[in-house]
Amino acid sequence: MQVKNFVIPENLFYDTNDYWIKVDGEEALIGMTDYGQNNTGDILYLELSQGGQRIKQGDRFGSIESGKWVGNLTAPLSGVVVDSNREVESNPRKVNTDSYGAGWMYRLKLSNPDEVGKLMAAKDYAKWVTEQINSEQEIE
Amino acid sequence: MKENWRLFDPGPLTVAENMALDKVILNARSANLAPNTVRYLQFSPHCAMVGYHQSVELEIEEEYCRQHGIEINRRITGGGNLYWDESQLGWEIVAPKDTPGIPKRLEDMYRLMCESVVLGLDKLGVKAEFRPKNDIEVGGRKISGTGGTEIGDAFLYQGTLLTDFDVDTMISCLKLPIKKLEDKQVDSFKQRVTCLKEVLGYLPPMKQIKTALSEGISEVLGITMEPGGLTAAEEKAFEKELPNFQSEEWIRGLRIMPQENDLSISEHKTPGGLIRVSLRLDRNRQVIKSAFITGDFFAYPERSIMDLEAALKNSSCRPADVSNTVRQFFTDNEVNIPGVDVDDFYHALYLAIDKGW
Repeated sequence: MQVKNFVIPENLFYDTNDYWIKVDGEEALIGMTDYGQNNTGDILYLELSQGGQRIKQGDRFGSIESGKWVGNLTAPLSGVVVDSNREVESNPRKVNTDSYGAGWMYRLKLSNPDEVGKLMAAKDYAKWVTEQINSEQEIE
Repeated sequence: MKENWRLFDPGPLTVAENMALDKVILNARSANLAPNTVRYLQFSPHCAMVGYHQSVELEIEEEYCRQHGIEINRRITGGGNLYWDESQLGWEIVAPKDTPGIPKRLEDMYRLMCESVVLGLDKLGVKAEFRPKNDIEVGGRKISGTGGTEIGDAFLYQGTLLTDFDVDTMISCLKLPIKKLEDKQVDSFKQRVTCLKEVLGYLPPMKQIKTALSEGISEVLGITMEPGGLTAAEEKAFEKELPNFQSEEWIRGLRIMPQENDLSISEHKTPGGLIRVSLRLDRNRQVIKSAFITGDFFAYPERSIMDLEAALKNSSCRPADVSNTVRQFFTDNEVNIPGVDVDDFYHALYLAIDKGW
């Protein structure tokens, strides 16, 4: 699925902070969407929470810097960080160039799998992205 | 009816106090405990700062700072190292991210924020322009650098305004890519920045500068402003946060994987003259942290080399990407440099990068 030039794979879940979430049993793989990385711009630094850290949905679980802007990474789900992508921390541009592949950020062991039900499916995220793009065009 | 924002102008503060206030005001706005705010920042004593993700050791000449009473601290916003003397003025905008009229795409937001200051400068008689991604310049020379951050649903966007600037102290207290260069090249580096006093031939009173900026910000954001102090919640939070921003843990805490800061210099001879390139490289991240290009060639328009430096800053230093950046720059801009072509610039950059490995 695609909105404008932004790829939105159908087999993933999404949230309004522009994260994609791939759920696999009790674990979830998390990264930034194509639309999200485009809004953020060229990423210069990433600070990711380390393995073992317990986080709650909505918590800050890292920081990201692009174009002198420091943004927070906000956890889309609650759980324990099983693994964070050290390679993407040392080369954050992978989030820009391969957001759904080598640019993944976290592997999380879910502590509240019910939260997955509140995430968006691809078609809902595509609708949300379309609304965002339309509202940006109104500003212009 | 236009929305009324708070204008907070606390006067000169220490760097730790100013940095603590950034966090306090942004937090309070995010929690709806403070109104939308425009703030002015002044520092006393003078100080050197690193961006949130930078390391003091790599960016600041600490011994020089100690000897000259220059305080060191870390911003909550991004960007590079900077020196702030007592004559400079900072400006800052704090509001919710979904404020009507403020773009979500960061690069569009930078432009809007900077345009409000460009309009303010116009009211002082200074013809400034936004320079992507987030600087303000006068005739190709930087007069304001900006950066931002967010907490929850609120953002903070801030910038410097060089009023009357001590460039020699800046060069001495920061680790810059020019330390190994000859005097002539250092003079050329100084030409990259300017200040209000130099542009206007005099320095307007600070009150007049603030009034002009406030007018520009009000017009572009479509707001009115009323002077106000901290809320009770902010006062309380400030008392709590200040010790953190005075602590070594905050100032020196390295938040991310170790960075590198290699300086690499190259020279490349062309029919049009010599190109000298000085790059600061982060090899871990494969990034050009900053570029400085001089030589005895003639570039038309004159500012094009500074624009090329801006395009290279924070770009990838992989050879194929550098080639793309340079070629894209020359495709997008009408640049004429007799006897020097695109490949010459790529070659000079490649030599510097190759030396850095």
